[in-house]
Amino acid sequence: MFDAFFRALGRSRETRETESHSDDVRTDGGVADPAMAGEAEASSSSVLDSEFVQSLPFWGPPALLVGLFVYGAVAWNVLISLTDWSGLGQPEYENFDLSVYSQMLNDLLDPTSNFFVATRNTVALLVAFTVITLLLGLLLAILVDQGVRFENTFRTIYLLPMSLSFVVTAIFWSWMYNPSIGLINETLRTVGLGAFTQAWLSNPQFKLGAVIFALMWQFSGYAMIVYLAGLQAIPNEQYEAARTDGASTFRMYRRVVVPQLRSSTTSAAVVLMVFALKAFDFLFVMFGPNPGPSTDILSVMMFREAFMSTNWAYGSGIATVLFLMALGVIAPYLYRQYQRGEL
Amino acid sequence: MARLTLDSVTKRFDDVVAVDGVSVDIEDGEFLVLVGPSGCGKSTTLRMIAGLESISEGDIRLGQTSLSGKRPKERDIAMVFQSYALYPHMTVRENMSFGLEESTDLDDDTIRQKVEDAASMLDIDDLLGRKPDELSGGQQQRVALGRAIVRDPEVFLMDEPLSNLDAKLRAQMRTELQRIQENLDTTTVYVTHDQTEAMTMGDRIAILDGGHLQQVGTPLEVYHKPANRFVAGFIGEPSMNFFEMEVQGDRLVGDDFAYPLSEESRAAVEGSSHVTLGIRPEDVEVVEEGDGRHEFETVVDVVEPMGNENNVYLAFSPEREHSFVATVGGMRSVESGQPVVARFPESAIHLFDAETGAALKNRSLDELESSEPRL
Repeated sequence: MFDAFFRALGRSRETRETESHSDDVRTDGGVADPAMAGEAEASSSSVLDSEFVQSLPFWGPPALLVGLFVYGAVAWNVLISLTDWSGLGQPEYENFDLSVYSQMLNDLLDPTSNFFVATRNTVALLVAFTVITLLLGLLLAILVDQGVRFENTFRTIYLLPMSLSFVVTAIFWSWMYNPSIGLINETLRTVGLGAFTQAWLSNPQFKLGAVIFALMWQFSGYAMIVYLAGLQAIPNEQYEAARTDGASTFRMYRRVVVPQLRSSTTSAAVVLMVFALKAFDFLFVMFGPNPGPSTDILSVMMFREAFMSTNWAYGSGIATVLFLMALGVIAPYLYRQYQRGEL
Repeated sequence: MARLTLDSVTKRFDDVVAVDGVSVDIEDGEFLVLVGPSGCGKSTTLRMIAGLESISEGDIRLGQTSLSGKRPKERDIAMVFQSYALYPHMTVRENMSFGLEESTDLDDDTIRQKVEDAASMLDIDDLLGRKPDELSGGQQQRVALGRAIVRDPEVFLMDEPLSNLDAKLRAQMRTELQRIQENLDTTTVYVTHDQTEAMTMGDRIAILDGGHLQQVGTPLEVYHKPANRFVAGFIGEPSMNFFEMEVQGDRLVGDDFAYPLSEESRAAVEGSSHVTLGIRPEDVEVVEEGDGRHEFETVVDVVEPMGNENNVYLAFSPEREHSFVATVGGMRSVESGQPVVARFPESAIHLFDAETGAALKNRSLDELESSEPRL
């Protein structure tokens, strides 16, 4: 039965090609079989023969599943944010309003509100983490690309933290930052810089910085790999031409090499920013649901509002905001891909 | 001005010797072509002049100053790469000004002026605003050339700059490059594996093989008076015919034929027991019949018509696989299988020592002008 189906599929495509290119010389794909074309033509009026219907079994089920469980869930979340569902009851899908969002806008005007603080921290984390990680990744990539010995080993070593789960990194770094027995303070004390020891994770001044540093440690290897691929795509002659043109090493990288890494930067930045928005598990493991105003970010606040305070509608509102932010991050990238015809 | 001297330059990569004691003097304004088969060390030599490779031994001097140890930017040298190496994110104008911006203190207006002058010389004025990927191969090649010219350096280095062009364009650029080099009168070192380019472009040719300099000379010198068998075989297309011969008194005896020698030639092979007899295809005379001492019965194996001439592959007998080439006029009809007589005039033969390959006797040039037009 399947056999017959596949044959029908193949045949109708043959027909299309022969019909549209009937005047053209067929340069590839061989010679159209006139008998086959004639046979298919007889039934080509049927809707069932159209490419859309015939390819449906292949893209239909995945589209349905993704549509339901991803986009359906997103839509449902938006719907909930329009209700005023809170507490232990069931949501009432009757009065939809934007009260959640107007509350957020009000909160944004109040620098002491949780929502304002969380948004500020999220943006700070997003920007600082992305920029620092990209710079460090670029530096590592340039160093590893110098034709050093054990290049592959270095690459693996730098990339390895990326393979750890956020939970592991969070626990690992909370030990590192431990004020009394943590490696960082211990090292500072050993080299005689005891005055610089800090309670890294409790001092509000350093908390967010400590988180950004730990995340950077985990992700700079990824940025390095992306940049390394970009660097290795630049032919050697470009470096040599720049040198014979009289450029110093720094100027050569600044004017010839780095500008050619623009697409690497874009793709790495998009991934890093999306990760920054999803940094929930890292902060949750480090600080629990209440990281305090200096480190509170939207995703942790969302969890707190929804699952601890049972402000379901408000939590959904934050989720929607996060979704829009993620969309805002990848939209320019997708648009560029679309413009270049790669989408 | 800028006389470039290579003084027994040697380059070792670990235990491989890529360039072995190469010494050449390149006069100011001279166009020197470095030619040789791939892997002969010609590119390495060029890269050592550019400062992209260090020198293991020896010295390179520009005028009186030694270049060794100087970084590329301190050498006042411009290089054209085989792949052009244009910066893809810059426009043609930016590509051409880059070198001036990096290596000089000129102000923007002067740089703009220089770039425009160089661009108009190369006929690429209207491409200045474009990016390299919007240009054809030939245009990219011109931009690469312009990038070197605009710097007005002491020395141009060119690493097979024409090899990515199609045959027609290559011939055209060959002439143009020569014209530009003559106008600018800048010392130029040009690397190629193409002996036609070497012959047509160079003031002098330096032939390298296996890292050793084989011969330096004008194109006609290396063609007519090759220093050894390698040069004789490398220069010229189709290449020279070689026959391994044994010296027996006043004759050379080979597998297929014996060749009587005159007094003069005999003196030249004195002391060698085995020699290689070489003769250029255009010097082999194909005649209908003959009974002279330097004429041999052969059979036409294959004919390659070129239009203006025919390359005729001759074998001493139909069973022999080994054949040699003779060039005859394009209007002359020769057919495969036809028996013909090949004459090797003694004035045109080259003799090389079979062991060292060194030339023992080169063709005489006296008859060159007066030689009868052949059929």
